[in-house]
Amino acid sequence: MSADVLPAPEAARWAARAGLLLPAERHAAVAATAHHIHSVVAVLRELDFGDTPPATAYHPGGEHRSAAQ
Amino acid sequence: MQPSDLSLAAAAEAIRTRTLSPVELVDSVLARIEQVEPRLKAYVTVTADAARRAARTAGDEIAAGHYRGPLHGIPMGLKDMIDAEGTATSASSQVRAGHVAAADSTVAARMAAAGAVLLGKTHTHEFAYGLTTPQTHNAWDPDRVAGGSSGGSAVAVAAGAATFALGTDTGGSIRVPAALNGVVGLKPTYGLVPRHGVTSLSWSLDHVGPLTRTVEDAGLVLSALAGHDPRDPASLDMPAGDYRPGDGTDLTGLRVGVPRTYYFDHVDPEVEAAVRQAVEQLRSLGAHPVEVDIPMTRYVQATQWGLMVPEATAYHERTLRAVPDLYQADVRILLEAGELMPAGDYLRAQRSRTLMQQEWARLLEEVDVVAAPTVPVTAVKADEETVTWPDGTVEAVSDAYVRLSAPANITGVPALSVPAGHDAAGLPIGLQLLARPLAERLLLRVGHAYEQTRPARALAPAA
Repeated sequence: MSADVLPAPEAARWAARAGLLLPAERHAAVAATAHHIHSVVAVLRELDFGDTPPATAYHPGGEHRSAAQ
Repeated sequence: MQPSDLSLAAAAEAIRTRTLSPVELVDSVLARIEQVEPRLKAYVTVTADAARRAARTAGDEIAAGHYRGPLHGIPMGLKDMIDAEGTATSASSQVRAGHVAAADSTVAARMAAAGAVLLGKTHTHEFAYGLTTPQTHNAWDPDRVAGGSSGGSAVAVAAGAATFALGTDTGGSIRVPAALNGVVGLKPTYGLVPRHGVTSLSWSLDHVGPLTRTVEDAGLVLSALAGHDPRDPASLDMPAGDYRPGDGTDLTGLRVGVPRTYYFDHVDPEVEAAVRQAVEQLRSLGAHPVEVDIPMTRYVQATQWGLMVPEATAYHERTLRAVPDLYQADVRILLEAGELMPAGDYLRAQRSRTLMQQEWARLLEEVDVVAAPTVPVTAVKADEETVTWPDGTVEAVSDAYVRLSAPANITGVPALSVPAGHDAAGLPIGLQLLARPLAERLLLRVGHAYEQTRPARALAPAA
């Protein structure tokens, strides 16, 4: 998504790609909200993550993080 | 004083010593519910008959010498995101019409095992996706927001319509309404309290915890809630424990971090003054205030949204397609817009969380707790959508209420909101205390000590 305001038809196409068919009267509002969300999260692109992994949890074999870790 | 006015600890002591029966206590609280519900609307459902039956059972057990502990016979509310077998978990949403929980959530089962009496289900902002809980009215001024999303739980506790309640907290949803209604709210360490059977807003940010009248009460409830359950993949492999704080108020040597950045930016002067006064109270108990810099503040909102928005949309994928018109407008548009977020944004948020956890771990080596406001402003009028700061910055009410709570959700550290006085309009102010992961005992000890320096709190006047 560019930093420019997301055009309503574009928002509708993106939603359709995600399997969500939006009624025409919702295209503009969804585009505006999606643009606002994008403008908030885009600041994360400033960070140099290097080798930093995502903080997602995955515990094979039913193990769980203990208090000591 | 009516039994409904009692703290959990006081009510438990009266029940243990047979000066109050669970039936008398539950009847008193049910009477208060009848009195205040028409104005406050804290509850989705009140299960009065079942509560009276459970109270009789508790009374019989105690009379027979089978006292289960301090929650035995104590009436409580469950946020309506939390399953209780045979009742609807409505999430305060039309989407859930006809829902019946097939089994207890882990926390409901633990409350039942401890002998607590379920009064009913309390209102949430729809699916916990918001900070005001518009169905419910603030216990101190019904024209003002309850806060959210555990608004019903906070209002019920503040008004004497529950001796305690449980809530969920994804970006402040226990602490925000606790602060706005003058009660205690604890968001425990991520994974300490299992979420099996609790409707999710955002798996990697959701927590369950207590809303109570005192810090001691929060410790009593946490003692019954904490402990491992493998059905929640994030549940920590921890045994249950005793979290009731001791009576001592000596905080000699405690290092209290006072933020130089972030937590006092864009904060109402009356809120700031009350929190700084609370720090002075901690100093008078022997604590040592230390100025600290809060890390990565520029990325808090981005990380919170980058995690929450796509996770919430994923949870609602089926129903957003099947029954979109049944969602409230504010929740529907967020869920729809979340469909447009690329996976790259989500991964950046998860990587930012890793960095933020590391930075907060370093910060919490310098100090034992951080003291800060819970929310930057007290309860706003129900029709206010924005806050305008003196420098002209306009902030959405929901953004303002999340702002100071979100770091503890992102990093998973425990955070406690304790009432810290009132503003000139008489509205409650919340002090937030944060500590290292699994340092709940320390957090509760500090909060309890602070509470001892304050005058005893009465129920909310609007009650």
